Amino acid sequence: MKSSRRNFLAGGLVLPAAGLAKLTPAAAPAIDAAVPAAPGKLVYRTLGKTGLKVTSVGFGCMITSDASVIERAADAGINYFDTARVYQSGNNERMVGAALKAKRKQIVLSTKTPANGKADALATLDTSLKELGTDYVDIWYLHGKQSASQLTDDLLEAQQIAKKAGKIRFAGVSLHSGHSEVIPAAIQSGKIDVLLISYNFTTGNRIDDLIAKAKAAGLGIVAMKVMAGGFRRVKEGTPEATILNRPGAMSAALRWVLKNPDISTTIPSMTDMDQFEDNFKCMSAKFSAEDEKTLTAHLERISPMYCRMCNQCLGTCRQGLPVSDLLRFVTYADGYGQFALGRERYRELPDRVISARCGDCSSCTVQCPNGVHVAERIARAQELFA
Amino acid sequence: VIRLLALSAAAVAVAFAQAPDCSVLPGSTQDGPLRSYTADNLFEYMDGNAEGYILYHFVAMHGVNCQSGEDTVVLDVSEMENPEWAYGMFASNRDPRSPVEKIGTEAQIVPRRAILVKDKYFVEASSSKEQAAVLRHILEAMAQRISGTTEPPGELSVFPTAKLVAGSVRMVPESVLGISALKRGYIAEYDYGKAFLVREATPESAAAVMNKLRARFDETKPAKVADEAFEANEKYLGRLCIFRKGRTIGGFTGLTADADPIAVTATLAERVK
Repeated sequence: MKSSRRNFLAGGLVLPAAGLAKLTPAAAPAIDAAVPAAPGKLVYRTLGKTGLKVTSVGFGCMITSDASVIERAADAGINYFDTARVYQSGNNERMVGAALKAKRKQIVLSTKTPANGKADALATLDTSLKELGTDYVDIWYLHGKQSASQLTDDLLEAQQIAKKAGKIRFAGVSLHSGHSEVIPAAIQSGKIDVLLISYNFTTGNRIDDLIAKAKAAGLGIVAMKVMAGGFRRVKEGTPEATILNRPGAMSAALRWVLKNPDISTTIPSMTDMDQFEDNFKCMSAKFSAEDEKTLTAHLERISPMYCRMCNQCLGTCRQGLPVSDLLRFVTYADGYGQFALGRERYRELPDRVISARCGDCSSCTVQCPNGVHVAERIARAQELFA
Repeated sequence: VIRLLALSAAAVAVAFAQAPDCSVLPGSTQDGPLRSYTADNLFEYMDGNAEGYILYHFVAMHGVNCQSGEDTVVLDVSEMENPEWAYGMFASNRDPRSPVEKIGTEAQIVPRRAILVKDKYFVEASSSKEQAAVLRHILEAMAQRISGTTEPPGELSVFPTAKLVAGSVRMVPESVLGISALKRGYIAEYDYGKAFLVREATPESAAAVMNKLRARFDETKPAKVADEAFEANEKYLGRLCIFRKGRTIGGFTGLTADADPIAVTATLAERVK
């Protein structure tokens, strides 16, 4: 299994058991009845077989620094809030819990465990409950699973134990990659109620069939990374920044996700009220031709260079080059000014890869489905590092 | 080409000087290869949590796992854009309920995890078992290895220490108080309210931000503090008083009923150089 610090840290994020409060099972909150009405603005969708009615725009609290933004969102009727044990080394759960304390029964609260084993997972859950100041969470995700083998019986059992103890209402799995493996495995387990998946306009419709199958199986689907993550890394003064800094560009990305009816809710990150208000409006706005134009312009700009690591190129180079790795290394140098790192990684490749040259082929057999100019970019890597 | 090679060699030398290895944990052996990440692929290592690093202007990370008997220590060194961002990262990740120590700029050690900031580097060491002494030794070794400043950001000394909640001072990387006009700054919790400081590029741009803030609150009352100031009362931020002194904007929010908004804000403003 791939090395993961997040998993390793699971134990380190557990507070001493002696400090835990006595926990009691909670009654299910009546979500529908408790949410204040906001005609024409709030849009609800059903979170699969959980039956929870959640606002189509939720709140990803991971990078929020000020609790007042979370409080305002809850007051405005947003009712899905997401955090995790590892965010800000545990500080995030504490802030989220404090911000939502007065509305705990009216909102759907989710957190995640980074643990790999039952005992660790249950211990992190107790810590989460203590830090959140609640005796239950609505959805408890196994955090960042990227292969079917990571959905172990041990972890699934931990979720069932927590359910029986009334510490969680529903079991979930979150994943950033490995959709084609993890989603079917989650469906097949019969024990997962909700999936939290990365889904945005850069991934396109590639996983829509999987999402539809999960929905048909009764799973609720929560979308994260809806702004495609990279927006925050766009450098000021570049043409890309000009496009993405246009009013409404970020909202266009959110509306793209919301146009898929199989998505139950979304959890964009928000750090201020302006962002919240923009996202709030997306609930009742339709994805427009102008949105399409904005996102297409962004994709056109990044497509020739940006590898989305879909691995569809795997094994298609006639010289056997590891295409996605090479594209990543050249991005270190050209995209992030990390020439040394790119070259360091390049030189760790086998000799036959280092000595291969794209110029030796009369044509390139690698066709990137996302439009990356593969031969051009790999030739660039060879020019820079070889 | 020669110049490029010379520059890259220098970059490699700098990168390796700060990179961790298992010599900081005597008796241990390296478990697996060294790892390196940039903002482009940090998520491969820590999934969505990577955003929490990128927010603090993350540049690169070098890490290694060290095995000592049954115990594994995971050691990662993150390079941020400058010392201020590195400090911000540290403050965001420390446990406000646990003490900090003077190793490097600052460090915090809990039984299975230790973090350190020095210059523009943020160091994290985690152990599979509780061993604070070992983690402290690792941080001390890393602090010696990393060159550069050990001074925390100057803004920290502006906050008065009386009635300051221990461990509450931190950097906010964007949207201080949840207001986008306050791009980034520092906050500190007091028994009687929350203080904040934001430095703009010029007094003129700070004055423009003040105008935006006035427009944001329904009713404001002018106050005589520093160059300009106002009081207001808002549902979420509570009783507040905000001042501008040169290019610095600061003030208090969430003031308790017994706190004098003008007096506490004036005290803060006086400390701004």
